[in-house]
Amino acid sequence: MADTILLERRGVPSAAICTDALRASADAMAAIQGAPGYRYAVVPHPVSSLDADGLRSHARLAAPQVLEILRGPGGGAGPGD
Amino acid sequence: MAVDESPEEQPVDVDPLLEAIEYCYEQGWTDGLPVVPPTPALVERFLAETDRDPDEVLVRLAQFRRAATVRQVAVSAAMAGCRPEYLPVVLAAFEAVVDEGWPAAGAWQSTTGGGPLLIVNGPVRTELGFNSRGNVFGPGFRANATVGRAMRLAILNVFGVRPHELDQSTQGSPGKYSLCIAENEEDSPWEPLHVELGRSPSDSVVSALHTRGIDFVDNRHTADARRILNDIGDSIARTGTVLRLQKRVGVVIGPEHAQLLAAQGMSKRDVKEYLVANSFRRVDDLRRAGKDGEMKIPKAADSSTGSMHGMAEPTGRAEGDPGGDERFRVLHSPDDVLVVVAGAPNAGVSAVAQPLGFPPRFPGRSLVRPKR
Repeated sequence: MADTILLERRGVPSAAICTDALRASADAMAAIQGAPGYRYAVVPHPVSSLDADGLRSHARLAAPQVLEILRGPGGGAGPGD
Repeated sequence: MAVDESPEEQPVDVDPLLEAIEYCYEQGWTDGLPVVPPTPALVERFLAETDRDPDEVLVRLAQFRRAATVRQVAVSAAMAGCRPEYLPVVLAAFEAVVDEGWPAAGAWQSTTGGGPLLIVNGPVRTELGFNSRGNVFGPGFRANATVGRAMRLAILNVFGVRPHELDQSTQGSPGKYSLCIAENEEDSPWEPLHVELGRSPSDSVVSALHTRGIDFVDNRHTADARRILNDIGDSIARTGTVLRLQKRVGVVIGPEHAQLLAAQGMSKRDVKEYLVANSFRRVDDLRRAGKDGEMKIPKAADSSTGSMHGMAEPTGRAEGDPGGDERFRVLHSPDDVLVVVAGAPNAGVSAVAQPLGFPPRFPGRSLVRPKR
């Protein structure tokens, strides 16, 4: 989470993907980095034990969220948006 | 009527102290156990035990946007119940934890849930009363208990790494409360850890190994050095601990085992080399645990797999089809094995400290700098 926020601060469009089980720490890290409410894509937990079909399914869930974050409400997203 | 002429004891008003302890709970400053309220006067007593500038920054961690100063670590030591004179050891412990390299890499936040195992060497052990003998991992000794606890309180309060928030530990481990031992240099047949690391015997050093768990190895069944090490190697290579192609490991050998190994001619280096060669799982064991794919079990005769080369022993099977009896060695080098002697010389018991993966620096270490 810190990485994508820091990348965006350097002008690199970025989107983080997080599983729902790790949202609390993702939100805490975003707040520490000065970006409370920072948006990220969320997929169901777990990921590491998925087979190829399961990963494709997760990717299909994540992709539209990632595109929406990258485009942003006005065509660009930034920390705190 | 008889009159009790003994002077009447003045009642001590403990309410303010209890209120202060409760205040620390309300602020979220504890590890779940009561802390000593770190009044400014108490913290000054700690700072008087070091020449270091209270505002000296010990480490700055970008992911938290926070730094730890000497004063903040002194506050943690006071809250943990340390005596003021422990502060130079606490500072060295903190520096050793940082030196290992894991904090900057996010280990404190990891789902893997370990904490620092601290190992104290040198004269400071006896000067401050660190336990290196019986119950070395257990309770009963203020120096061990509070120096280890000071690390956790610093992680919680200086960096804000709290469970259910930044600390993502799935299960955590008991060692996260406190995990500090001293090496039993007196009952060890080998040079102590800090001398092995290049320091003088008269130096005091704290070493650190971010540890997920301590596994006991109880072997009072044989006097054969190799069989004892095979038993330790079995714990080192337990499938649940095999996550990557490389790992490092700490072995805390009980004095009885250590003396037995040395009596059969084994140096500390010999012990490490033997454990590298004999800490393995058979490929079938990894398959049973579903870890053969993750480990990318190499082809028997394939030397193109880089770091995997030589880890599996060829059995003459077709290339690409490693046999179930092939050995998957979990250690690559004697330098990936830390050997420390600790405990009482009263039984054939040793322990394996399973660290987080492949620590960047092994072990983290720092010299204890007493006030001049």
